[in-house]
Amino acid sequence: MLAASQPLVTADRPMLVASDMHRHFEGLHAVDGVSIDVPAGKITGLIGPNGAGKSTLLAVLAGTLPATSGAIVFDGEDVTSWPAYRRARHGLVRTFQLPSEFARLTVLENLLVAAPKNRGDSLVGALRGRAYWIEDERRLVQQARALLKRFGMSMKESDYAGTMSGGQKRLIEIMRALMLGPRLLLLDEPMSGVHPKIVLEIQHYLEDLRAEGLTILMVEHELHMVERLCDTVVVMAQGKVIGSGTMSSLRRQREIVDAYLVG
Amino acid sequence: MNTYYAVNLLVYAGVDIIACLALNLQFGVSGIVNFSFIVFQAVGAYAAAVLSMPPDTANFGFQHYIGGYSLSFPIPWIGGAIAGGLLAIPVGFVVLRKLRSDYQAIALLVLSVIANAVITNADKFLGGAAGIALVPQPLSERVDSGTEPYQYLYVGITAVCVVIVLALVNRIVNSPYGRSLRAMRERELAATAIGKNPVQLKMTIFIVGGAIAGLSGAILVGYIQVVAPSIWLYPETIILFAAIIVGGRGNNVGAILGALLVPVGFEEITRFLNNSPSIANLGPPGLIPALQWVAIGLLIIGFLWFRPEGVRPEARRVFEGAPVRED
Amino acid sequence: MDLFVAAFGFGLVSMSVIAIAAVGFTMQFGITNMINLAYGEVMITSAYVAYYLNRAGLTIWVGMAAGALFGALFSFLLNRFLYAPFLGKGTSYLGMVIVSLAVSLMIANLLLPIVGYYPVSYHEDAGRLIRWGGIVLTRDQIIIIGIAVVLMLAIHALLTYTRLGKAMRATAANPTLARNCGIPTRRVIDAVWLITGALCGMAGVVAALDSDSFAIANGATFLITVLAAAVLGGAGQPYGAMIGAVLIGLITELSAAAWSPQYKEVVAFGILVLVMVLRPQGLLAKRGALAAAG
Repeated sequence: MLAASQPLVTADRPMLVASDMHRHFEGLHAVDGVSIDVPAGKITGLIGPNGAGKSTLLAVLAGTLPATSGAIVFDGEDVTSWPAYRRARHGLVRTFQLPSEFARLTVLENLLVAAPKNRGDSLVGALRGRAYWIEDERRLVQQARALLKRFGMSMKESDYAGTMSGGQKRLIEIMRALMLGPRLLLLDEPMSGVHPKIVLEIQHYLEDLRAEGLTILMVEHELHMVERLCDTVVVMAQGKVIGSGTMSSLRRQREIVDAYLVG
Repeated sequence: MNTYYAVNLLVYAGVDIIACLALNLQFGVSGIVNFSFIVFQAVGAYAAAVLSMPPDTANFGFQHYIGGYSLSFPIPWIGGAIAGGLLAIPVGFVVLRKLRSDYQAIALLVLSVIANAVITNADKFLGGAAGIALVPQPLSERVDSGTEPYQYLYVGITAVCVVIVLALVNRIVNSPYGRSLRAMRERELAATAIGKNPVQLKMTIFIVGGAIAGLSGAILVGYIQVVAPSIWLYPETIILFAAIIVGGRGNNVGAILGALLVPVGFEEITRFLNNSPSIANLGPPGLIPALQWVAIGLLIIGFLWFRPEGVRPEARRVFEGAPVRED
Repeated sequence: MDLFVAAFGFGLVSMSVIAIAAVGFTMQFGITNMINLAYGEVMITSAYVAYYLNRAGLTIWVGMAAGALFGALFSFLLNRFLYAPFLGKGTSYLGMVIVSLAVSLMIANLLLPIVGYYPVSYHEDAGRLIRWGGIVLTRDQIIIIGIAVVLMLAIHALLTYTRLGKAMRATAANPTLARNCGIPTRRVIDAVWLITGALCGMAGVVAALDSDSFAIANGATFLITVLAAAVLGGAGQPYGAMIGAVLIGLITELSAAAWSPQYKEVVAFGILVLVMVLRPQGLLAKRGALAAAG
């Protein structure tokens, strides 16, 4: 039986190690002493009842919310004091639970803006004029269009992201994150609100990415999806980790079943 | 239409266009609500003035100001731009980092009011409430400034500045960098999650915008030959904001349109109304300027309600080889 | 030294005037999240309402009541017909700042042709001088201090003991949760604008009474002093605003005695900027100033 606060024991090198994370705000302990290891090259699920602190944990790991205390080591590097943008550039990327598209940019622009290697993405680069950065731009447009095609949104490339449906916005966010070439992807309920056919697409795509070596930590409610996709699972409740392991091993732990899982 | 009137119109149009392009870069494209914008135009004017004026003992010493290096064109104008850019550094450093955006706006507004109050009261620094007058006109040593050719010359050098600024701003806005700025404007938190550093972006644009604003001030002071606190009270910034909101946010054509509709347009309407005595004497004194301000307020509120994107909205970027949109 | 003791006395009056205004302003922000930049203009308009009543022969105390009533009504209508619709449309807080700035401009300039540029004053015999220690104040000034104390106690009572006050605090803390708990947030917000509007109007008359003369231009100055006190105390915190008012009132009067009265406003503004830079959440930190997540 795994004790609640012991980090997951794994033979693989962990991509990310979070130690004793706390996030307190106005008296609420959203994250209350969480330590987890996210194994490299695997998909880890993060499940738990509403209000367990899963999204907050993701935000703290990504740096978009400051942690009250705790340490985060990402791929061997201590990123605890790094601001969110620095972590993102380093390969630690998150998506959001609520739609976070750039509304008045087109779908294609939403993807392009995330791409890191663009010579035109600096003041000096911009001032040097179109000829200087157009090659990079064309390359990235191709890359983005390939993604759009994969997710069936090619026809929407010139539409404003703000006019897309909820499910489409979720797709845009995933594709946007992928344009960054992440090494650890923090996904916050990526399938919610998405058409079942596209859900399957996303699932296959995530499996392909895992095969290519990408590490994923995803918050997910749909337990069947978690069973299909996740190699290992972390269970949270009330800001703490109450268990971790494979779904089958978790089902055997009474207190977890009682607290959360049904059947 | 006499030459003087036309030149006056064109120079003011040039100054306002340049100012609006800068404010659009800060506000329309990057989402920085710079309520202290007018201070940057003013600092450019003051810098150009003290660079081009003789020492303050000249002209019977009735004015008191620092500097007085009698430098000739184009140094005062370059100095004005540099002054604007330099001022943006401490201001941006203090305001643009930790505060949430509506607080930032308030802080900048307050700064604008303080700056005006301080300069008004500091008599020896920049001429105090009276300001600095008799600023020499650029190139007046070469061409007699009383003549018609000089007027055309002034329009010419103003136009050159407009073209340069427009080219610069175009390159910034229509580039991947501009795209990052717009993303930050749309949703700053998501922008940080994809690797954008909002503080660096905002500081950069604050400085660039400040420099362009300073240039516009230098052009203005070279033409009207005077700069004083009464010219750069905090509501002047609001006129420029109205211009951006009316003309069209986030794009340079909209900014130019706004500059022509609002500051220039209002200027012309005032001139017209003042020239017809029956209207000019209607009601209590100061009625027309007061009503102008009411109109500015109404324009802002009206456009924000009915057409927030402005007369000429930000253009949709379509890339070469895009599939045809079904509309 | 006498100068400073006397300045302390003026500080007491100053802080009273500022407190009435700042508490109203900060409650508007705390409960509706609106930085109402038109607050200063509503103050000055109320001051003029009292002025015209005063010229018609009524005492300034009637004028004060009228100013409060006017402020309440004006602020309520302002919210009902302008602010709430814009907020309902999804306008960002930044957009609301621009809207309220435009409104303040309009109020000032609609008033200007009516009242003119030149400063006016109330016809009011300020009463005999009262000395206490080195402090020298007029009877009216003492009354102002008394009014402020009464109002602060009333606000305290409102927030602590009444159902409305508790509803206000709940709405301030979490509007969605409050609504889900059955609190009629729309009516609470209406009440907030009425009450804070009354404070605003009263503050305007009191501030005008405390100065030798006033004009439209004072609207902006009032606003910034109020902002300074509110931000210093912690935006959205009524008790913070009271503390902020005490500090600003004292510091400005003491610095006026130490240096020059000209710079009184600049000192207030300077404090505001310093607070925003060094400790944006103010003294009684809660939420507010720091970069919000999302």
